[in-house]
Amino acid sequence: MSLDVKASRELQAEVLNPSLCSLCGACVGMCPYWVAHRGRIVALDECNLTQGRCYVFCPRTSLDLDLLSQTAFGTPYAADELGTMQRITMARATDGDIRSKGQYGGTVTALTSFALEQELIDAAVLTASDGNMLPGGTLASTAAQVRDRAKSNYVAAPTLAAFNRESSREDVQRIAVVATPCQALALAKMRASPLENRNNIDKLNLVVGLFCTWALRYDDFARFLAEKVPLGQIVKLDIPPPPANIFQVFTESDRIDIPLDQVRPFIRPGCDVCLDMTAEFTDISVGAAEGVAGWNTLIVRSDAGRELVEAAQAKGVIETKPLPDENLAHLKEASLNKKKRGLKKVIETSGSEENLLYLRLTGETVTELLS
Amino acid sequence: MKEKDPLNVIVTGVGGQGNVLVSQFIGRALVRAGYRVTIGETYGASQRGGAVMSHLRISRQAQYGPLIPSGQADVILGLEPVETLRVLAQYGNPAVTVITNSRPVYPLSVAIGAARYPTVEEIMTVLEELSASAWLINATDVAVEMGAPILANIVMVGALVGAGLLPLGPEEVELEFQESLSGDRLELNLKAFKRGLAEAKARLRRSGSVSG
Amino acid sequence: MSITAYEPGASQLLMGNEAIARGALEAGLGFASAYPGNPSSEIIGSLAEVAREMDIYVEWSVNEKVALEAAAAASFAGVRAIVAMKQNGLNVASDFLMNLNLTGTNAGLVLVICDDPAGLSSTNEQDSRPVAKWAELPLLEPATFQEAKDMTKWAFELSEKIKNVCLIRSVTRVSHARGDVRLAELTPPGRSARFAPTMLGQFTPLLVTLKHNMLHQKVKQTKEAFETSEFNWYTGPEKPELLIVTCGSGWYYSLEAVRTLALEESVGILKLGTTWPLPEKLVLEHLARTDKVLVVEEVDPFLEGNLKELVGDAFSSLGPLTFYGKRSGHLPTIGELDPDRVMSAISTVLGRERTDIDAEYAKKGQDLTQSMVQNRMVGFCAGCPHRATFWSIKNALKLDGRGGFVAGDIGCYTMALGPSGFFQIKTVQSMGSGAGLACGFGNLGRLGFGQPVLAVCGDSTFFHAAIPALINGVYNQANFTLLILDNSATAMTGFQPHAGTGASALGEPAPNVDIEGLCRSLGIRVEVTDPFDLQDTTEKLLDLMQRDGGVRVLISRRKCALVRAKTEKAAYKVRVDSEKCRGEACGCARLCTRVFQCPGLVWDSEHQKAKIDEVICSGCGVCADICPASAIIREA
Repeated sequence: MSLDVKASRELQAEVLNPSLCSLCGACVGMCPYWVAHRGRIVALDECNLTQGRCYVFCPRTSLDLDLLSQTAFGTPYAADELGTMQRITMARATDGDIRSKGQYGGTVTALTSFALEQELIDAAVLTASDGNMLPGGTLASTAAQVRDRAKSNYVAAPTLAAFNRESSREDVQRIAVVATPCQALALAKMRASPLENRNNIDKLNLVVGLFCTWALRYDDFARFLAEKVPLGQIVKLDIPPPPANIFQVFTESDRIDIPLDQVRPFIRPGCDVCLDMTAEFTDISVGAAEGVAGWNTLIVRSDAGRELVEAAQAKGVIETKPLPDENLAHLKEASLNKKKRGLKKVIETSGSEENLLYLRLTGETVTELLS
Repeated sequence: MKEKDPLNVIVTGVGGQGNVLVSQFIGRALVRAGYRVTIGETYGASQRGGAVMSHLRISRQAQYGPLIPSGQADVILGLEPVETLRVLAQYGNPAVTVITNSRPVYPLSVAIGAARYPTVEEIMTVLEELSASAWLINATDVAVEMGAPILANIVMVGALVGAGLLPLGPEEVELEFQESLSGDRLELNLKAFKRGLAEAKARLRRSGSVSG
Repeated sequence: MSITAYEPGASQLLMGNEAIARGALEAGLGFASAYPGNPSSEIIGSLAEVAREMDIYVEWSVNEKVALEAAAAASFAGVRAIVAMKQNGLNVASDFLMNLNLTGTNAGLVLVICDDPAGLSSTNEQDSRPVAKWAELPLLEPATFQEAKDMTKWAFELSEKIKNVCLIRSVTRVSHARGDVRLAELTPPGRSARFAPTMLGQFTPLLVTLKHNMLHQKVKQTKEAFETSEFNWYTGPEKPELLIVTCGSGWYYSLEAVRTLALEESVGILKLGTTWPLPEKLVLEHLARTDKVLVVEEVDPFLEGNLKELVGDAFSSLGPLTFYGKRSGHLPTIGELDPDRVMSAISTVLGRERTDIDAEYAKKGQDLTQSMVQNRMVGFCAGCPHRATFWSIKNALKLDGRGGFVAGDIGCYTMALGPSGFFQIKTVQSMGSGAGLACGFGNLGRLGFGQPVLAVCGDSTFFHAAIPALINGVYNQANFTLLILDNSATAMTGFQPHAGTGASALGEPAPNVDIEGLCRSLGIRVEVTDPFDLQDTTEKLLDLMQRDGGVRVLISRRKCALVRAKTEKAAYKVRVDSEKCRGEACGCARLCTRVFQCPGLVWDSEHQKAKIDEVICSGCGVCADICPASAIIREA
């Protein structure tokens, strides 16, 4: 039971050429060959190696979910709707300032800046956008820096490039990453990698996952958006829960509603083959709380996650309340639907149930999901 | 020195080593001494680090064409060991005399790690196998010692003349230097030439043999 | 040693091109012009060296068309003039030549065309001799270095006799080879230049049919002169078994072949120095000696075809004749001649074996050296600005992601077809054609084309030919970016000065035409960049590429490495910190030595690290910016 080891030529052929790439950024920032540019992963030259970190870390190659689950949680992968779970609840930051700067309940910002202040971590890899809505990974080493990067981002960002670039620093010893599901998978692959070069993964102390249904392509979506509003004026984006079916763009003074159906064409094709909505390979995962404005849904997965949440609760940094049964049911349904859609898309792309492209799932799991 | 007519001499090296200069010096000295001389060169794009060859045809009787037919070289003067090998394979014969510099100029393919350069021992073994007589001169070492690495080619001219492989005496070549150069350059070139002469003479003394 | 260094009567070792130049001086030359082109450059080069001493006018023209026009003017004004060019230059000058032949000349005008068989330094392989037939001008082909001089001197006399251009065709093995030449007296030029037409249309091709008829008379005159020319001779038996008819470089090869095969008793050689129009009486006389003819010439069967044409007309007066040569497959129709090929042709025709080959030695030689001897790759010098420019081009095109490409041109940078320039150049034809192609590619938008178009040209190429294409692009609103690689040199051909280097052919100060100003005057977007600043150059180029619509120009300006070596100290001392060097590991995979491939960067396979070759490194410091581990250190 181990991950396939190939290199950049295969990464180009198996992931980039068939548009499976999720733009997680795990292949960028380790070498001069792979770079991220305006929402695309580009190979500047041909690397002639036969074994490379880029291929092994990619969440769209050799995704042995059993192996990753054993490495992360000590248990085999079960096709549960929501993944390994110790506790699920609603939560929000107690600090109103954080809540207003953040998205929904501001839980991610509160927990991450708390972890920094408590010196559980000395740096956090987050995602932030420039004046042209182009998002990228960035390293925050103070609570203030974390609070400044609190917004949700619907455009795919190669965030892990920042981990790769910054994790070698002497002053960075305990890192947290706020990760989308594909980014969390990449970090899990890094942990399970058989390669000698550990890529500083042992410095990773905390993975905070974000729920994600899909992400958008930068270049043409930015052009589309720029026709409606100057990009530099945008302060926040949001997708309210169904049945609203709109994409909201906020400036300082204004709000523009765009029908979600006009935005869907900009979804990355690499998202269509994804099976993970709630970021299953993390310490904690956070998303919206449907119908409960100003609150997050919080899933605690690991012991490290539980300890952080309990400490934050004890210090009054976050507050929690039970998740309504209806919300739990909807969440499970949405997550399961994404798994089914993703698997179906994989089989449609490969042309056969026997060929699951990058997925390594047991026959039972496949049958279960397709039923 | 056997009076072969025409005497076919090939000077070979890598672009930038002063191959053309060598053939011109020798050529002019030979013309001054009353010989009919033709020199054929490879030029142009070969200058950018490529292989360079000069074919010298030396005769008392007639002027010959600028290309020596395959297998018809009498003397091969190599400024670079692998180039000497290349020329020998195409233009050598059992009676040829080879005299080569020992210092490699690594081709780009070797420098970038894509190919292997043979050792000087490997090269000498093949040179000896394919010639009647093979000389190895550490011309670059001598030139570096003199503080002028660029003059390795002139050291080789000295060795060539010292080994008696040309129908020219040292004075005739020195006269050519005096006609073409002046001042510090003349002094340095003469010095390099004389060091080359000495290298050849030393070897002759050691082996007790006469060239050819 | 200049071509005037020795006394008349002395023997001087001269290059074929130098012998031609000397011949022109002995004929009283007053004016010389050319554009550099291998293998012709030394003709004007050696004249420039002695121009002051001989008090004659010598110039490097912007292109071969202007060079021929300027020389024609000298001839019209009574001054003996010479123009030299390579085969491609002839193509550029041909429009004017096809008017000049009908116009006629006044003082002697000699046009020397140096062909490059096998295209050793050219983008094409071309036999230029058909231009003589096409333009109906006398053609001379020197076979020896002495002849190169003597023929050139005589060509001026012939030119003045028939009042038309005289063509001399040389090839690399004559132009660039050296041989001892007996010198004759130098003649200073006349000093009464004056343009004074005495008849209507005297210095025009008009009236065309009248002038064409006059041209035919000149051809007749030329044929007569050729019948008794000292440049045609026969050597061999009365009735040879085989007659070789040869010209130019074929003479020495044929002579040596016959001697080596010991066939002097059965093979005769007719060596022709006057190859168009053929001296018919002379040729037919010699053809009558035998029934087998082998034609030895470079590159195309031109002489062979003309002989057959002649025989076709004189058919009834000759016995049966079989021709051998390129058309029969006995000699190759591509590439260069050499003595071995001629020997093989003769022995095949006569059914004799070659006795000169030691097959055992040849095989042994092959076997022993095969694994040790490889082709030396040619590439940009250490510190070449082109390497840096093409690195940025490569990156910018990849980042842009729309399948952009480079239409190339002629110069050192043409090597960007290969690994030295990261395979970026995708098309190459004649001077200035990169910009020309870009005009076409740049107007295919409505036909579905969506790729960014880049064209490159050097500074000398820009002046030679790219300007009209650039103006066409502006006027026709083509969508492309022209990169002008300004390294202040005509480097590939030997660093001759040009309109933008500030010096004349004589090395004196000359007006420096400002490329940037010229481009700006067209009202287009012009940026200037230092190719050694990789990041800035890449960004500028990306930005320009993404501004679709209209022509943009990026001038990449940095002196050629070889020019810098002569005039500047190295900018940096560069070294590799082997602790930091990642070598072959994931994270680098030898980017600097394997991909960047500067000869100053060497892979030390013993220690598995990169290192700087201090002898070759030019100290430009560019490699320090590509190392992912910052292991390459540059210190000012």
